[in-house]
Amino acid sequence: MRNFFRLLHEVRRYWKVLLLIGVLTLMAAALGLPGPLIVKYLVDHLVNRQPFSIFAVFCALVGVAIASGLVGFALTMSVTYLGQRFKLDMRRKLYGHMQTLSLGYFEKNQTGKLMSNITNDVATLDQLIGGGFVTLVSDLVTLTAVLIIIFTMNWQLALVGMSVFPFYIANYLLHIGKIKSTADDIREERDVMLGDLQEKLAGALVVKSYAKERSEVLQFVGQNRSLLNLNVRQGVLGTRLWTIAEFIGSGLGVALILWFGGRQVMQGNLSPGALVAFVSFITGYLYGPILRLIQLNDQIARTNAALRRIFATLDTEPNIKDRPDAIPLPPIQGAVRYENVWFEYEPGQPVLKGINLDIKPGMMVALVGQSGSGKTTMINLLQRHYDVTEGRITVDGYDLRDVTLLSLRKQVGVVIQETILFNTTIRENIRYGRLEATDEEVEEAARAANIAHVIEGLPRGYDTRIGEEGIKLSGGEKQRLAIARAILSDPRILILDEATSALDSETETLIQEALEHLMQGRTSFVIAHRLSTIVKADLIVVMEKGVIREMGSHQELLQQGGVYAGLYNQQFKVALDAIQTEGAAA
Amino acid sequence: MNNFSRLLSYLKPYRARVVMAVGLMVLVTLTALPMPRITQYVIDVALPKKQYHALNYVFLMVVLLYLVRGTISFLLNYTISWLGQRIVFDLRFQSYRHINRLSLAYYDKRQTGKIMARVIDDINVIQYMITGGFVTLITDILTLVVVIPVIFWMDWRLAFISITVVPIYVACYKLFLKRIRRLSEQLREKWDALLGALQEKIAGITVVKAFAREEHETERFMLTVQDNFSLGMQQAKLNRTLGVVATVIRAVGTGLIFWMGTKLVLGEQLQPGELIAFVGYIGYLYDPSVRLVDFNIQAQWAGAAMDRVFETLDTRPEITDAPNAITIRDMKGAVEFRNVTFGYEPDNPVLRNINLKVEPGKVVAIVGPSGAGKTSLVNLIARFYDVTEGAVLIDGVDVRQIRLESIRRQIGYVSQESLLFSVSIRENIAYGNKEATEEQIIQAAKDADLHDFIMSLPDGYDTKIGEDGIKMSVGQKQRLAIARATLTNPRILILDDATSALDSKTEANVQQALERVMKGRTNFVIAHRLSTIVNADQIVVMDRGEIVDIGTHAELVARPGVYKNLYDEQFKSAQEEALSALLG
Ligand SMILES: Nc1ncnc2c1ncn2[C@@H]1O[C@H](COP(=O)(O)OP(=O)(O)OP(=O)(O)O)[C@@H](O)[C@H]1O
Ligand SMILES: Nc1ncnc2c1ncn2[C@@H]1O[C@H](COP(=O)(O)OP(=O)(O)OP(=O)(O)O)[C@@H](O)[C@H]1O
Ligand SMILES: [Mg+2]
Repeated sequence: MRNFFRLLHEVRRYWKVLLLIGVLTLMAAALGLPGPLIVKYLVDHLVNRQPFSIFAVFCALVGVAIASGLVGFALTMSVTYLGQRFKLDMRRKLYGHMQTLSLGYFEKNQTGKLMSNITNDVATLDQLIGGGFVTLVSDLVTLTAVLIIIFTMNWQLALVGMSVFPFYIANYLLHIGKIKSTADDIREERDVMLGDLQEKLAGALVVKSYAKERSEVLQFVGQNRSLLNLNVRQGVLGTRLWTIAEFIGSGLGVALILWFGGRQVMQGNLSPGALVAFVSFITGYLYGPILRLIQLNDQIARTNAALRRIFATLDTEPNIKDRPDAIPLPPIQGAVRYENVWFEYEPGQPVLKGINLDIKPGMMVALVGQSGSGKTTMINLLQRHYDVTEGRITVDGYDLRDVTLLSLRKQVGVVIQETILFNTTIRENIRYGRLEATDEEVEEAARAANIAHVIEGLPRGYDTRIGEEGIKLSGGEKQRLAIARAILSDPRILILDEATSALDSETETLIQEALEHLMQGRTSFVIAHRLSTIVKADLIVVMEKGVIREMGSHQELLQQGGVYAGLYNQQFKVALDAIQTEGAAA
Repeated sequence: MNNFSRLLSYLKPYRARVVMAVGLMVLVTLTALPMPRITQYVIDVALPKKQYHALNYVFLMVVLLYLVRGTISFLLNYTISWLGQRIVFDLRFQSYRHINRLSLAYYDKRQTGKIMARVIDDINVIQYMITGGFVTLITDILTLVVVIPVIFWMDWRLAFISITVVPIYVACYKLFLKRIRRLSEQLREKWDALLGALQEKIAGITVVKAFAREEHETERFMLTVQDNFSLGMQQAKLNRTLGVVATVIRAVGTGLIFWMGTKLVLGEQLQPGELIAFVGYIGYLYDPSVRLVDFNIQAQWAGAAMDRVFETLDTRPEITDAPNAITIRDMKGAVEFRNVTFGYEPDNPVLRNINLKVEPGKVVAIVGPSGAGKTSLVNLIARFYDVTEGAVLIDGVDVRQIRLESIRRQIGYVSQESLLFSVSIRENIAYGNKEATEEQIIQAAKDADLHDFIMSLPDGYDTKIGEDGIKMSVGQKQRLAIARATLTNPRILILDDATSALDSKTEANVQQALERVMKGRTNFVIAHRLSTIVNADQIVVMDRGEIVDIGTHAELVARPGVYKNLYDEQFKSAQEEALSALLG
């Protein structure tokens, strides 16, 4: 219920539409009342064979119907508008909020589930708003009006008609708990299915290369089977509630009225027409709304799970956000300092342990070291995807936590280890680096990344789509596009996290030359396992298990004869051997 | 309508229940009939004659009637919702199974989100139609069939009048139908686009954040949502207009009946109660036309959804087992490319005239510039795609003549991008071989030099990856993917740049272990770091879709060419240093 009030709070924004709906509802309710009364008039005259103006009755009936049709039109349109508008705004809010959340959030939640939050959960709410929520008001109004009318018509009969109420409520209370919990189960099960589905579809290559299609289908079937059972269960509960309610209302209630009302007519306390009107009031305007109210409750129960999840998302605070007093980072020189940086993703499992690093503007820094030693983590921290656990990182003397995220990330360009491109044209993909870049600048960047000739070789050139309805690129081509994208963003600090691992050395050298030129006077970080990529770096940082083991230029490190020298010898063994033998021969 | 009957064919296996449902529908319809007559009886007979005892019977009758009606309609609803859910289940199962059968080319061309939309949303829409509108429609039709004779029997003049207004409604309906239909299709498409974009941007959030594009993305997303909004409104408008027409027609019809009926009553040709009963019955006549509007929305949605679901089901997998395909039990691992030409698009070959023969048990390295076609070449071995010309043979048999499953079960393929699933590390490793014992899993992890890392985690092999779990570094993922591949004990192992994120030391460890594990098996290794492959039995050098050279490392460095250039470039610094060391 708390969530429900919060929902009301969300809806409050649309008070104008709500007001309109309220007025229209009242009109619709009012227009519903004359019908039975006209019928009463008609029947009474007919039974007593009294002549009357048929034409007037006809006009009244048709007039009321047309009016209520039009009001109904306006009403449903505004309700639809409200529902759609609400969905629109809610989706914007959710998506916008998700965007502000930090990477950690996305790592912990499957893509499919997040999607479901934005699509399904919001749609569920819409059903409530567009459905029961609005009839709630009109039903309450109708209910009051009808109660007044029937009590003035004949209060004893009205009391009899209402005597079935308690059963109604009892029936409802009996069912609602179970319906609610089943709704929760369904949501959960469905999310699990969506999460898995998304992952397995995105990972089709793996599924196929292990010939696992059949077992995947089986698993999917398993999930669907439990979903099937839950849904059927939900259906049974809902129908039972409904059927019993209908029996109590239309069956028992009407029977009582005919029985008691009939007596009243015979005793002359009620006209036959009034009895007919009574029945139609009770079935059409009393039990109907009550049934709908019950349904509404059922809907609220169903929505509850969705509501909870939506608000849970909205309540998730981004781990990383601007301080209230954060200032925009002015254009930077590119001096980066790690001061005794400790960091852990999971509490108690430090990944970086006391990193100290001082980088002058314009330096090219290489990070090497064992897989899993924390290189990417260093980079993540520099972009402030996470906050350090201890110590601090500064850029040009500004602590990263004191400046706005936007101003920081705008000046730091990265090519991440796993290339991600989007489903649009090549041009748009590169332009993602700087949206206002001209076509020339895009092509310039492509040339620097040594991908221009590949693109130009395509029939549609830069307008070739990637992915859907387009082509797929090779691993190295993707990396080069990602590099072009980063180059275009014109960063003050450029980070290449194994950005050339899928490139042959020749292409790599060409790109490096272009970058050297472009990055003149800017700081760059390069992570690479192929040491030929980094020999030219001003500073090579060798990492091991979260600490810096060695630091220095290529020459210095070789002379030290430590970890780096070991890696070097291993990788260049062939060449070294070859030269040795050549030398020996010479 | 064609799709519609196809949908109905899904009901075939549940014939008994369908028959039962129809029977129940008939019963429900029949139980609706007595009520107006009872009212008539009360007004025309019981009340004027002051028969108190008759009222008792009426009371009993009504209660009984609704008891019966309630029971039947409960059974009906249950049966229907069961059937609806069951069809959803069957359709989903079929679609998913079918999508799994489709070859990689299908996935290359589609966003994951859109495929999901087909498996989930479209089928849901169909279900709503079946359990919702469809049932009402059938009940309504049944009611019509019963009610029309009844009213004609009661009073043919009134009956005739009440029917005259129906054609007007039908005409209006026809007029709107096309536009509503078109809108529904557009809506489905927009919805697809929304899901596609959503999935992509959530999965690619790292890039969004790296470029600080959050706001831009939110705006873009809004545009899609906005489209959905305006289409939804348009659709509502059309439907509601139709709704107004239906209401008005209904009112006019009822009004006419009262008019005519009053004349008849006053002329003593009709009892007042009969007139009331009559009006009650024509409610059954007109209500369906109002309801038809609602059904229409659902039906149009479902129609668009059905088109897409069946389109998916009708997509032929490009790669399927030949009817006479054979199973190779113990693959030896001889691979031959015979005059292979291959292109993803027919007119744009990526591989040209490839001839390559690999003996079982050999280690073959493939090198060459990015985009040369290395990945494409190895993709043909596991038959992810079919050659355009020529043939790929395993153990002397054309891969198109071997059962897919028997090929893929015996090939270990580690792709360029390591994909892991959100389950525990153990389950990820055992993905290809669910029967693997704990020792085998640990051994595979050890071979991939990952065991120590795993043991350093508090939950060890039970650590979850991804959702609610940890994220691994790229090199760790690569090693896990290797462990996963070796655990299936493949006869052919393909490593597509699978150690690029490993430092040379770790890589050497992994290689040593692999050498032992893969002894006597055929290995394909793609790598850009030449130190990875110098020891290969055979190095295949590719450039622009062709094999330009084959030989051992020693042979290849001895002659000028692509390989020599790559080698020089990569080892330049080492050579310079070594030389300077030698010289001075
Ligand atoms: N699914 C696909 N659809 C269309 N074209 C493709 C597809 N996959 C690859 N290509 C194209 O085929 C060519 C060869 O790609 P391939 O992936 O075989 O190269 P590669 O040698 O493995 O390169 P890299 O070293 O960069 O991974 C590339 O130009 C690429 O754009
Ligand atoms: N989001 C995360 N949550 C939890 N643990 C993580 C996360 N990201 C990385 N780790 C862990 O932190 C450690 C360091 O990872 P990192 O990605 O920095 O390594 P790396 O040096 O870049 O390795 P590689 O060369 O393999 O890419 C690894 O043990 C990894 O499992
Ligand atoms: Mg990394």
